[in-house]
Amino acid sequence: MLRREAAEALADAKGDAISLVTMQAGQPWAESGGSEVLNLNVVGCMGAASTWALGIALAQPEKRVIVLDGDGSLLMQLGSLVTIGAQAPARFYHFVFENGTYGTSGNQPMPSQVHDFCGLARSAGYKATFSFEDAAALRQALPEVLATTGPVFIRLAIQPEHTELSGSGTPNTAEQVEKLKAALTM
Amino acid sequence: MMLVRRSGPSPAARSVPAERLLAEIQALDVTHVLNVPDTHQKTLLALLAKQEQPKLVTTCTEDEALAMHAGLYVGGQRPMISIQNTGLCACMNAMRGILLEGRVPALLLIGLLHREPDLPSRQSRVLTVRLTEPTLEAWNIPYYLMESEDDLHFLREAYQRSYDERGPVVVLLGAKTA
Repeated sequence: MLRREAAEALADAKGDAISLVTMQAGQPWAESGGSEVLNLNVVGCMGAASTWALGIALAQPEKRVIVLDGDGSLLMQLGSLVTIGAQAPARFYHFVFENGTYGTSGNQPMPSQVHDFCGLARSAGYKATFSFEDAAALRQALPEVLATTGPVFIRLAIQPEHTELSGSGTPNTAEQVEKLKAALTM
Repeated sequence: MMLVRRSGPSPAARSVPAERLLAEIQALDVTHVLNVPDTHQKTLLALLAKQEQPKLVTTCTEDEALAMHAGLYVGGQRPMISIQNTGLCACMNAMRGILLEGRVPALLLIGLLHREPDLPSRQSRVLTVRLTEPTLEAWNIPYYLMESEDDLHFLREAYQRSYDERGPVVVLLGAKTA
């Protein structure tokens, strides 16, 4: 599965959910239309997207929150699985793009390919896990996934790709914060 | 911009009663305290654990505490952060990427672990203590020194300042809470 294919399926299923995206998923998410409303692109702080999303999910429990995370980012803050599992927000959907590489810096391999993210998430208290290697299967299952009581962890096996993240083209975090806060609280 | 506030010339740090600190926090309508446990705040944390408001949320890392804080703020809540000085060192990238670049108002109550009560922190024999104030100054983060009960009002000032200036403001807790 290509990252773009997964992003397109998620964008089509997003509905009125709040989305947080990070690193390599940011560009295909924007190109798929997923970032147009109720979105935050978490840049420059690898591993922070999921707990940033957790805070929003606790503040607005009636809203669905989806996170588009990366495997390298998750490994930077692996303890976040425990924190999310402990708080257990019911409408929290944690998608992790897994390709075993650090895409942004040139597809260097991660320290190990021997890990089971779904197993780690279950052990940490996530209520359900899913794993997809095919975009068509993902697309077909998304209504069921997003109706499952969370927190839900979804592994998306994708091919290694590489996109340069331009410093000058990165989103302004302060503007995003104010825009999303206004949308959620006014 | 004045970065540091202290109440007087005395270098001595004395215990602040946890009950009074909690009352100050509750008076600010704080909804959540994001915490990685701190030795100096042990009695405060024990009190917070019994409260419905604010809700005490323990995270695995300080990075997580800062990110959750930003999410709660975006969602309309009034959180604050409680960590110790070693944790400050641990989360400086999150400090930059989330609170500073995101311009997120944030009050951080930070215990000065291993601070010698009768020495100013800059003269401490402990490197982590000695580095705390210069680190905050290098990052242009305002901070207040809470050295006794007389300094409790700094909590409200720091909280208000974080909203006025839209960024992190630190209160350094010089001694263990009583």
